Amino acid sequence: MSRGEKAIVAGATLILLIAFIARLYTRGGPYFQRPLTIVDHVGPGKHETRDALLLLPKVRPLLPRGARVTCFEPGNRDTMPDFFAAVGQLPRQIVVSPNGDLPEYVIAIRQPFTNTSYRVIAQFPEGRLYRRD
Amino acid sequence: MTDILWIAGILVLIFPGMILWRLPEVQRLDLPARLSIALAGGIATVTAILYLYNFVHLPWTRFTVGVPLIACVILSGAKDLRRGDASPSPRLSMTTILIFVALTIYGVATARETCGDLIYFWGPKGQRFHYAGAIDTGFLGFRDYYLMHSDYPPLVPLLYAWGSLVAHRFSWWGALFLMPILLLATAFALRGLARNGWYAALLTAILAYGFAIGMVGGAADPVLLFFEVIAIAALTFDFEVLAAIALAAVAFTKVEGVVFVAIAAFAYLVTRRRLAKSILIPLPAAILIGWWIAFASGNHLIDSYGLARGSIHLDLFGAVVGETIRQASYKIAYVPWLATLMPLAMRRNFGRAWLPIIVAAGTFLSTLFYYLHAASPSWWIEASAQRVLLTPLACLVVASAATSE
Repeated sequence: MSRGEKAIVAGATLILLIAFIARLYTRGGPYFQRPLTIVDHVGPGKHETRDALLLLPKVRPLLPRGARVTCFEPGNRDTMPDFFAAVGQLPRQIVVSPNGDLPEYVIAIRQPFTNTSYRVIAQFPEGRLYRRD
Repeated sequence: MTDILWIAGILVLIFPGMILWRLPEVQRLDLPARLSIALAGGIATVTAILYLYNFVHLPWTRFTVGVPLIACVILSGAKDLRRGDASPSPRLSMTTILIFVALTIYGVATARETCGDLIYFWGPKGQRFHYAGAIDTGFLGFRDYYLMHSDYPPLVPLLYAWGSLVAHRFSWWGALFLMPILLLATAFALRGLARNGWYAALLTAILAYGFAIGMVGGAADPVLLFFEVIAIAALTFDFEVLAAIALAAVAFTKVEGVVFVAIAAFAYLVTRRRLAKSILIPLPAAILIGWWIAFASGNHLIDSYGLARGSIHLDLFGAVVGETIRQASYKIAYVPWLATLMPLAMRRNFGRAWLPIIVAAGTFLSTLFYYLHAASPSWWIEASAQRVLLTPLACLVVASAATSE
């Protein structure tokens, strides 16, 4: 390799190193604490699935195997992130879309679920688990 | 403990993958490159076993899958790790590679590089396949999961299912930590195949930064790029059997892999003028992906492959090109492109470099072609361009390494 080629490669690598560190830094602190979820620092703000990822492992032991369940934030029109997070976090259950007929179990993220056919069976800081009466 | 077991399950694939060390051209490589090739071979082998078992209805257990893997270890006959050439590069390039890998480890360990697609479909698919002990067509075809891309090639979910088989459950953190492992393996593979530490360091820098800005932790992109780099470097530096295996894995990893294989075969034909080999090299990939599409079609799972039948929006050509070029800056003034194109511009005779240059141009154009199939492509480009453009960038790094031989 020529000296010029080495200079280009070295210079670019250095710029990429600085940009890489800056990219990691701007995703927010704390910088040396073990994160609670796999999305804790993907951006400076809270990720849309963070509460679901914290709540679903707590709810999982309370659900029978093969139970039909859905997951969403009441009042939020974008139901997809919490729903798909539940598909991954509840592999032993059948997670159905909140936009169709509601199943036996409903996991409500953050906000209470006000459907009178359902009652709360467990409550956590990130949300609640409901079961149809 | 589960996370460690899951990762160990992936790393242990190096041993059956050592069967590729029987190839004379691989025996010449230095040890880090041979270990990288062995990892690639191991991943290809285990996913092929799980895929085959799916069709012959053999259960996925540690025993049934482990036996053929152990047979591969025995057949590899790998004894002397010290065989092969000495490492090709100075200490500086190795240090550079390790710095970028260490930062990537920090990035995934503090959850800074996680891809949403890991949560939404790569992870769910992997663990559902694990619990079902098969490619779960009922799950893939379930109407509520229509956004999960039911026909995406299954290499990554099968690999995740293997890790889960070893650890007895899926590991979200394990899937993330696969990224720095594959980054290191990709760097070592190019370093050995091209015998050039400087460009291996540049590739690591580009990929590490690209992975961070494109947020690909746990997604299929690090796996895809690992096999793509091996395939293109192998074709460029005349490791044809290895290229055929890597191309099959590329086609089996992501939808765009098929296009990559077709362009690579075309580039090989144009630059080497060997018709028979340019048919034989992509043949395993063609058989594998043809089989998968037939399976997906038979189970009514066609989704992404059906996009080719959609209409093209040529009226959006200017907007698509403009937005793609904007994303291609990687928010650092096109440094990755300049770093790979400037060394090429200093040469008069490209020689071997023509092959990766053609693949780079082809994959860039095919990316634009994909985007032209969306009625409103802006969001799609913003969400994916920085990831998919890593393929032409990696090809340009291989081209630069080839011209500096």
